[in-house]
Amino acid sequence: MFRNLTELWRFRALVWALVGRHLRARYRGSLLGFVWSFLNPLCLIAVYSLVFSYYMRATDVDNYPLFLFAGLLPWIWFSSGLLEATAAISSGGSLITKAMFPPHILPVVSVLTNLANFIFAIPLLLGFMLLSGMMPGVGLVVLPVVILIELVFLVGLGLMFSALNVHFRDIQHILGNLLTLLFFLCPIVYPVTNVPERFRFTLVLNPVASFTQMYHDIFLKGTFPQLSVLLIALCVSLVTFLVGNLVFNRYRESFAELV
Amino acid sequence: MSSPALNQQTIPPQPKNGPAREALPSGSVVIDNVSKRFRKHTLQRKSYTTVKSSILEKIFKSRYPRNNYIAALNSISLNVAPGASVGLIGRNGSGKSTLLKLISGIYRPDSGSVKVQGRISALIELGAGFHPDFSGRENIYLGGVMYGLTRREIDQKFDTIVQYAELEDFIDDPVRTYSSGMYMRLGFSLAVHTEPDILLVDEVLAVGDAGFIHRCHETISEFRRRGKTMIFVTHDLDSVARWCDEAIWLDKGNVKDRGEPRRVIDNYLLGVEEKEELELEERNRLSAGIPSAVAEQLTEDLSSAARLGELNVAEDPTAPGKWGNGEVEIVSVKMLDGAGEAKWIFHAEEQTTVEVEFVVHEEVPELVFGIGILRADGICAHGTNTDIEGLEVPLPTATQPGAKPRGVFRFVIERLGLLDDAYFIDVALHRKDGTPYDYHHCKYKFFVRGARRYHGIYAPPHHWEFGELK
Repeated sequence: MFRNLTELWRFRALVWALVGRHLRARYRGSLLGFVWSFLNPLCLIAVYSLVFSYYMRATDVDNYPLFLFAGLLPWIWFSSGLLEATAAISSGGSLITKAMFPPHILPVVSVLTNLANFIFAIPLLLGFMLLSGMMPGVGLVVLPVVILIELVFLVGLGLMFSALNVHFRDIQHILGNLLTLLFFLCPIVYPVTNVPERFRFTLVLNPVASFTQMYHDIFLKGTFPQLSVLLIALCVSLVTFLVGNLVFNRYRESFAELV
Repeated sequence: MSSPALNQQTIPPQPKNGPAREALPSGSVVIDNVSKRFRKHTLQRKSYTTVKSSILEKIFKSRYPRNNYIAALNSISLNVAPGASVGLIGRNGSGKSTLLKLISGIYRPDSGSVKVQGRISALIELGAGFHPDFSGRENIYLGGVMYGLTRREIDQKFDTIVQYAELEDFIDDPVRTYSSGMYMRLGFSLAVHTEPDILLVDEVLAVGDAGFIHRCHETISEFRRRGKTMIFVTHDLDSVARWCDEAIWLDKGNVKDRGEPRRVIDNYLLGVEEKEELELEERNRLSAGIPSAVAEQLTEDLSSAARLGELNVAEDPTAPGKWGNGEVEIVSVKMLDGAGEAKWIFHAEEQTTVEVEFVVHEEVPELVFGIGILRADGICAHGTNTDIEGLEVPLPTATQPGAKPRGVFRFVIERLGLLDDAYFIDVALHRKDGTPYDYHHCKYKFFVRGARRYHGIYAPPHHWEFGELK
């Protein structure tokens, strides 16, 4: 595990360069270029607002689009980051088979690239809030901490799934479906209060849901997230990171032969 | 004679940061008893394990046999001293590239250990990791970082890298617009400018045009002069002889021979010849009896094509065929060396005899024997027949009443005089007007080995004389 970390640090320039390259590659050649990283979530928000707040009238949240925005941004980071990380090594091609390349960099780069997209969109969210007359609260101070904890969590998952996916190509397909389920199990399109009391425990057991709640606290309520939630998330993240590294190290030597 | 510049250029060993290793001198590679095997389905790229098969495998062990392995390397030990050049030779699939990938750390050994001291640059696939959408400039920076250089180091070397790759005008274009030669040149240039202590080269030196290849060779020589360790995998035996202190012949994952390059290469060639000899014998034996459908269609064009050397078979001049009216039939074709030994691989200087046995089925008025030697690409190196040479062939007579007359003719080449290549023999029996009795076109393949590196298609007997003008 420490080998992974020290190697990450040794190759930090490479990680940095790859993240930059992915960010630029993603929209290279498209007319609107980088604007798409804002337009995509905005379009999604428009669709969800239309369906949930006008067609289904399923929610009584005021300023539903803003509510969606605050939950959806980190979710997009989580889901696309995890999906890309999972496929990162199996689609790494000649980098894995022909070059002396530290493989764990690839899932980490996927996670970081999507994190960058998330971070770039935060000013947009804040601007959106100001426009609707909301002042960002003091909770914003702990945002980096929450992001950091989720990063640890996500890197752990990414390492684990990317390694497993080399051996079991079904993982990426299973994961796509699981993520859809997980999306609706998180209070992103609905507030926690909509969840019947007897199902609330699912939100506690679901680490991604607690991240969503923390982002809601920070952005919408402007308060600090509950310390207990934060600490549990931290523990879950560290354990996930550890397990992810163990799984990754267990399989890493076979990548070059199997990819 | 060592020049003073040699010592000045020697790079001091660079301390390598990273986990502590056994104290080896920088630039050394120590391979101790390394074995590597691959699961068969990995080699065939047939199936990735799926969750399903993994579970099934555990439940029905018998149905999904786990020990389906192919040994790529068997207990290889190798000690490469700093500054040494080693050439790995062997047939395809002998484990050369696997060994290189083990040294570079792309593969891990199943058993044994690989110890490497110093920065490695592996030219296993040039430009692996280039991103097509990015410019040459961006790729140099990314690739440089991948090789472990800092940004500042790349800044310093950038111009040299570009110049070396001859890409000054294209360096800001995306590499997907590069030709494959440009792509390779950039990859090579980048790899050799990362100041490696150990250079691993897998059959990648044949990149670019003659000028660039020349420069590649210069660079390799320079690396050698500067005391870099180099390990080559190549089929280009000349460069092994030229650059390597030691050659290692791998055969099916075992070291078959090692030591002084010239000797090992000769042994290797001998080994390959023996094997090829067997295979060719088998192939020629099989092909002789089988008439080809293509050839039968061509029978109509025969009168014009019969004269050896003017034969102009439709698309593929080397498509083997057999045609003729069958009045006389070729029974066997052999090639013999000076000692009368039948074989299919000859030395350029050797006496070579084509021996043809035939049987006369119908009474024929006359008989002309023809022989053609075609290079594998269809070029006729020589064609002749007894009629051209004004010889009258005596018709064989039956030894017993009722039996068919049988005969033999031999075409004796005192000195083969061909260059290294694959060749076909054409054998023909026909009338003086060209009507074929039996014609075997490109059915018998033989190889010529061991000619000097002449140009052209033949090597006339020759010598040089030198003198001074008074």
